[in-house]
Amino acid sequence: MKRFSGSLAQLALFIAVGLALPLLPGTNFSLLITLLLFIGLATSWDILGGWTGQTSLGHAAFVGIGAYALALGTNRLGLDAISAVQLGVGVAVLFALLWGSLTFGLRGSYFTLSTIAIAEILRLAAINEAWFTGGSAGLFISSLPEPFGLDLFERRVEYYLALVYAASVLACVMWFASGRFGYEMRAVREDEAAAQASGINPTRIKLRAFALSGALTALGGGVYGAYLSFLDPHNLFFLPLSVQIALTAIIGGRGTVWGPALGATLLILPAELFRSVFAEANLLIYGLLILIVTLFVPRGLIGELERYLLRRRYAREQG
Amino acid sequence: MRIINFSHGDFVVIGMYTAIVLYTQLGWDPLLSLLVALPLGFLLGVVLERLILSRLVDVPEGSTLLATLGLSLVVQNTLMLSFGASPRSLNVAYGSATVNLGPMTLSVIQLVAGGIVLVVIAGLYLFLNYTERGQAVRATSQNRLGAELVGINTRSVHSLVFGVGVALSVAAGIILIPQLFVTPVITGPVFTLKAFVVTVLGGLGNVWGAIGGGLLLGVVEVLGAAYISFDYRDAYGLVAFLLILLLRPEGLFGRTVKRV
Repeated sequence: MKRFSGSLAQLALFIAVGLALPLLPGTNFSLLITLLLFIGLATSWDILGGWTGQTSLGHAAFVGIGAYALALGTNRLGLDAISAVQLGVGVAVLFALLWGSLTFGLRGSYFTLSTIAIAEILRLAAINEAWFTGGSAGLFISSLPEPFGLDLFERRVEYYLALVYAASVLACVMWFASGRFGYEMRAVREDEAAAQASGINPTRIKLRAFALSGALTALGGGVYGAYLSFLDPHNLFFLPLSVQIALTAIIGGRGTVWGPALGATLLILPAELFRSVFAEANLLIYGLLILIVTLFVPRGLIGELERYLLRRRYAREQG
Repeated sequence: MRIINFSHGDFVVIGMYTAIVLYTQLGWDPLLSLLVALPLGFLLGVVLERLILSRLVDVPEGSTLLATLGLSLVVQNTLMLSFGASPRSLNVAYGSATVNLGPMTLSVIQLVAGGIVLVVIAGLYLFLNYTERGQAVRATSQNRLGAELVGINTRSVHSLVFGVGVALSVAAGIILIPQLFVTPVITGPVFTLKAFVVTVLGGLGNVWGAIGGGLLLGVVEVLGAAYISFDYRDAYGLVAFLLILLLRPEGLFGRTVKRV
């Protein structure tokens, strides 16, 4: 419980900074919204990818589900914005459970390959079922209902939504990190057989982590959809977005509370700068960063830092 | 070698652009470029293996996948910066020439491609089965430690295999370019995905399986496109891939091995 109150203070600091930033003159809301969204998305990915150790390269599918649920729910089904997002989260949970129960028999890289294949099939469906999704031309969100009288197209409103989203995902991870579920996930990651021997059902833990991770990603997808207001299946369901989310978490340090958030800060800001220099080739920096990180900091920035501190403490105790 | 190479398709794309550049700048026929590109591709593969993959020992699982993914992004975006995003192709005189064989019409390029594939398969087969290096490759793939114990330099085997893989994908790109359009970012992953599907269908580390898998993928895609829906052409291969992965992870033609 002591650790948990420590992280509560960190979370409070995060929210305070988030609330203070818009007060500065000349705030670039688009950049900050993207940053907060990726903090949330990467932290959600990390629940499955880091804490449970199942590298998914298909999380773009959940972003797509969340965003499309918002667009289609409000414009085609006549729902209000909140129920539309709830619908998206519900669909994501069901989808994750189905997806996971199919593919969790696979280990390591094979699981990763299967996530790519499933997300790719979903992308093809989003492109080809044009009667429902708008097809490859994409989907414009021209109007959104106003929950509590908030205009969801206003950048300031979107910023606070993104802040609430990122903070709740972080709170969620902090909450389970010090609890039973967090230990169970890490046990499954480290050694499935040993976890099973101590009475943990690995498949159930993985499914639970996947459902939670997918639901939170879809929630972020909803906010992302409102922010983009134009949904393009070539972006929302596609592998590069999955890679971007996964990479953000990996660079910062998977399986740590603040790693994905640090990764997002380190990646989003330079990527936005690179976007103006290299235009379409802005993923070049991502490619180079993946190489550098896998070669030199394989456990991510926070991961290597924690390892270093642990080793130093151990050395001191040994005298 | 149990390395999942995510940048495989991008080497095909490198081959395609090599052929385009050599043709437009020097007027070389793609078949001539092939002679130059094969050794260069091999060298590129060896260098990349030495610089990147061979360093990935004792790291979290999935690191090779991520590293090759990073390599793939670097290749794609470098090509994008140098050639722009618009689709390119190469027009050679015999590009649309065809041969009539009874009721069938076959394109010359595809015949040439098929012929080269047969030669490559025969070459690989002979190499893997009848040379000492080839046996060293098979031994390393079966059991790395065991191979080292009998004095095989597994590091050089890894470089060799990666070099051959890259050289062959570059060659595939050069042969195919008169038939296809290439874009720096999209073409590569399409080929990578197809290569995964084929090898998983056939069983990893099984040359004959890869041939059978390739044929099967072609048939599944064409039949699905003809009888179910053309729009989902690329999805049939993926569905087949998932089914095989889930039901027969050792591949259609692989031997079942009980894992402990």
